[in-house]
Amino acid sequence: MNLNYIIFRNLKKNIKNYYLYVFALIFSVALYFSFVTLQYDPAMEEYKGSIKGAAALGASSVLLVAIVAVFLLYANTIFIKRRSKEIGLFQLIGLTKGRIFRILSSENLILYFSSILIGIFLGFSFSRLILMILFKLVGLEAQATLSFSSGALRQTLIVFGCIYLLIMLMNYMFIKGQSILSLFRVVSTAEIRVKRMSVLEILIGLLGMVMILAGYYVSSILFSGKLTGTTELFATMIFILGSVIIGTYLFYKGSVSFIFNAIRKSKGGYLSLNHVLSLSSIMFRMKSNALLLTIITTVSALAIGLLSLSYIAYYSTEQSARHSVPNHFSVLLPEDAAKFTQALNGENIEYTETRRDVIQIEADVAGIVGSDLGEEFGNTMILPVVSDHQVEGVDVSPEETLFTGSNNALNQFMSLRSTGQIELRGLTLSIPQQLVGVDKDAVVSQYFSLGLPTAIVDQSIYAQLAQDLDPKLQSKSSVYIGIDIPDASMLGKADAIFHDLGFSEQSGYMSQPALIFDQKSSMGLIMFIVGFLGLTFLITSGCILYFKQMDEGEEEKPNYTILRKLGFTQGNLLRGIQIKQLFNFGIPLIVGLLHSYFAVKSGWFLFGTELWTPMVIVMLLYTALYSIFGFLSVLYYKRLIKESL
Amino acid sequence: MAILEATQIHKSYGNKFNKQEVLRGIDLRVEKGEFVSIMGASGSGKTTLLNVLSSIDKVSLGSIKIEGKDFTGMKEKELAEFRKQHLGFIFQDYNLLDTLTVKENVLLPLSIMKVSKKEADQKFQQIASELGIYEIASKYPNEISGGQKQRTSAARAFIHDPSIIFADEPTGALDSKSASDLLNKLSELNRKINATIIMVTHDPVAASYCSRVVFIKDGQIYTQLNKGEETRQHFFNDIIRTQGVLGGVQA
Ligand SMILES: Nc1ncnc2c1ncn2[C@@H]1O[C@H](COP(=O)(O)OP(=O)(O)O)[C@@H](O)[C@H]1O
Ligand SMILES: [Mg+2]
Repeated sequence: MNLNYIIFRNLKKNIKNYYLYVFALIFSVALYFSFVTLQYDPAMEEYKGSIKGAAALGASSVLLVAIVAVFLLYANTIFIKRRSKEIGLFQLIGLTKGRIFRILSSENLILYFSSILIGIFLGFSFSRLILMILFKLVGLEAQATLSFSSGALRQTLIVFGCIYLLIMLMNYMFIKGQSILSLFRVVSTAEIRVKRMSVLEILIGLLGMVMILAGYYVSSILFSGKLTGTTELFATMIFILGSVIIGTYLFYKGSVSFIFNAIRKSKGGYLSLNHVLSLSSIMFRMKSNALLLTIITTVSALAIGLLSLSYIAYYSTEQSARHSVPNHFSVLLPEDAAKFTQALNGENIEYTETRRDVIQIEADVAGIVGSDLGEEFGNTMILPVVSDHQVEGVDVSPEETLFTGSNNALNQFMSLRSTGQIELRGLTLSIPQQLVGVDKDAVVSQYFSLGLPTAIVDQSIYAQLAQDLDPKLQSKSSVYIGIDIPDASMLGKADAIFHDLGFSEQSGYMSQPALIFDQKSSMGLIMFIVGFLGLTFLITSGCILYFKQMDEGEEEKPNYTILRKLGFTQGNLLRGIQIKQLFNFGIPLIVGLLHSYFAVKSGWFLFGTELWTPMVIVMLLYTALYSIFGFLSVLYYKRLIKESL
Repeated sequence: MAILEATQIHKSYGNKFNKQEVLRGIDLRVEKGEFVSIMGASGSGKTTLLNVLSSIDKVSLGSIKIEGKDFTGMKEKELAEFRKQHLGFIFQDYNLLDTLTVKENVLLPLSIMKVSKKEADQKFQQIASELGIYEIASKYPNEISGGQKQRTSAARAFIHDPSIIFADEPTGALDSKSASDLLNKLSELNRKINATIIMVTHDPVAASYCSRVVFIKDGQIYTQLNKGEETRQHFFNDIIRTQGVLGGVQA
């Protein structure tokens, strides 16, 4: 039996056990290599969003490496512990520690570097696909071509080579620090300690749930206008983060066993097999993994939250652009409008023009502002006012005002009510009005409204106010000019003209297509990066949970033997295991989803106009991918149960 | 009618080329209410015999009937069902689930038999006080002694009134005081509720509690001893003598 034979045998055995590890490694390398390839690619030069593409990719590849390195090192600690018995045995038959280290290293070397080579190969094959996804997301219509970059290859090899050295260093320290005896002991110290619940644990369990709920509650009022001032907001956010994260830790440390213990107590000692396999096992085990689970839950909540928010922004792009400017284009001065329409005529592009006279009026809104924020500025706002004659489909009586184009974030901050008493003030006049509603559609551009609602009043009231203007409040132009291009295929051309006339740089001149493109390209890039980083984290943390389950299953195998001897069938046991895995994977998933739900819910309106569709899509996707690992672990248990008798 | 009837059972391990025949034609009849022990040298196939008799392992040849039902041809699912209904087990290393309390461990076999909770409670109270573990009902296995663990394991074996109880070296890991405690309890239950027990042991003292001792050697039944009306001390001497004749390592 020579050394090579041992290495070969171990390798064969390990690949079967650690196919997921190999998969995760290949995936990470492939993704990293693609990111770096993109970063080095000249195609990225073409991409000129508001965020620098190559720099963002570079930064995210660093994050990617951090995630992957932590994963690989952590997985390695699990593996080396599992193999401590084997290492002890080698020592017992007289191999030196150095020799054992060499065996491990060469074994790892083969496994690790062949995965890396496969990863690089796949990474290169998929980098075009990834580039295409990126282009699609940011709305770039370029051809995705890539060439093999030796710089990317070198960087990938160096980075993963360093991680390999770290792993080896870890193994070396592990082997060096152990005597034959302690090696045999590693597995047994890892065994769970079954203990009765103490009062302290019950308190911890309750506290955990209270802290999480408190965090959720505070997050729901974070932007409701009760809190003002940035320091106050900032302190509250820190409180929410701290309360939820610590609460999560305590939840795993105590609440889960507390709840399960309560269920168990209610059974009076008469447990069904499903309870035996799920409740009693999880009760004791989740505690010991509390820190790991907290990290996984927090980071996945972060990933889901960020992805949801960027998707919300991406998804609401067109709506927010319409909100900024209700027509395709808007110019400030009539002579510029003439220039633009002339140019459009010259290119045979049809257009329609909308003009609305806008005046700026001070309004007393004390009657409709719900939050304390109103008092800070004396309960008055400067609102753009438009006559109902100039807005299609709107007709209000002289006593009535309709708000329109109100902004989600503003509504939330000020807790604006949609009906109530307000007062419009001219220089001398003061006209009481009944607010009859708040609509979403903007009728003037952001230049006039500054994000505040536009007040639509009866023509007679408008005329009165127009006679009594406070000149200090008026803007450079008192007419909103909007230009629409009915033929959607001409929109791009029109935008080019708008740009060529130099309008795109001036304030008060707005182009919907340009706004949409800008937001799409920056949000698209963020989504792309957060999406892939989230995916990497999902896969690596899923793998870690799976490995933990492998260990747990190995430890519980004797129980399955007992149960099968007692006459429980494999089917009985498997059903119990399915329930157990539902909890094992389901609890962290649900906690993570809840965290991200409350995080997104508290501030989504700052990012866009549609909450549910994007968030639910992201969450469903995450749940589906995550479930794969739970499913795989059930398959693993199935084999274990089969072998147990 | 015999409660267990095994005819010509053979058991071999290994493959065609490397075969080890552990059991070579064993016939065994056990009547209701008997307390039988199986003795033999280490490696003589006692555990193997018990495993095939109790359906945990399959025979290579031969038939085994329990309560008139031959289970040698049954599928895994049927077998499990059969074990659940008819058999009880006590093992050398207790085989308790360490995440369950004593009571939960004991009631485990009842949970699949659709017994009402009230009935289960009654049963537990009865058997647990019989075996002296009622006071430790809510403790976990790692909080109790080896003797208590084995009595818990015994309670679990008795709880569902099985036709036969199989015990593999139940006293093997116990000190002599705990061992005699357990054996006293077992023979008491054997008499009181007419329970049938088959026990593997290499300890002559343990065997002397039984009503019959079966010696196996080289995969066959070497001889059998009946206690009859003898005292336990007398029976013990007989066992020692037979063991001496059996020769070899007295393990
Ligand atoms: N699963 C098995 N595979 C192969 N051989 C076995 C197996 N179980 C037991 N044996 C062999 O059968 C013989 C009898 O074992 P066992 O019944 O455990 O003996 P005892 O319990 O009397 O000490 C031994 O020689 C042992 O090596
Ligand atoms: Mg044995």
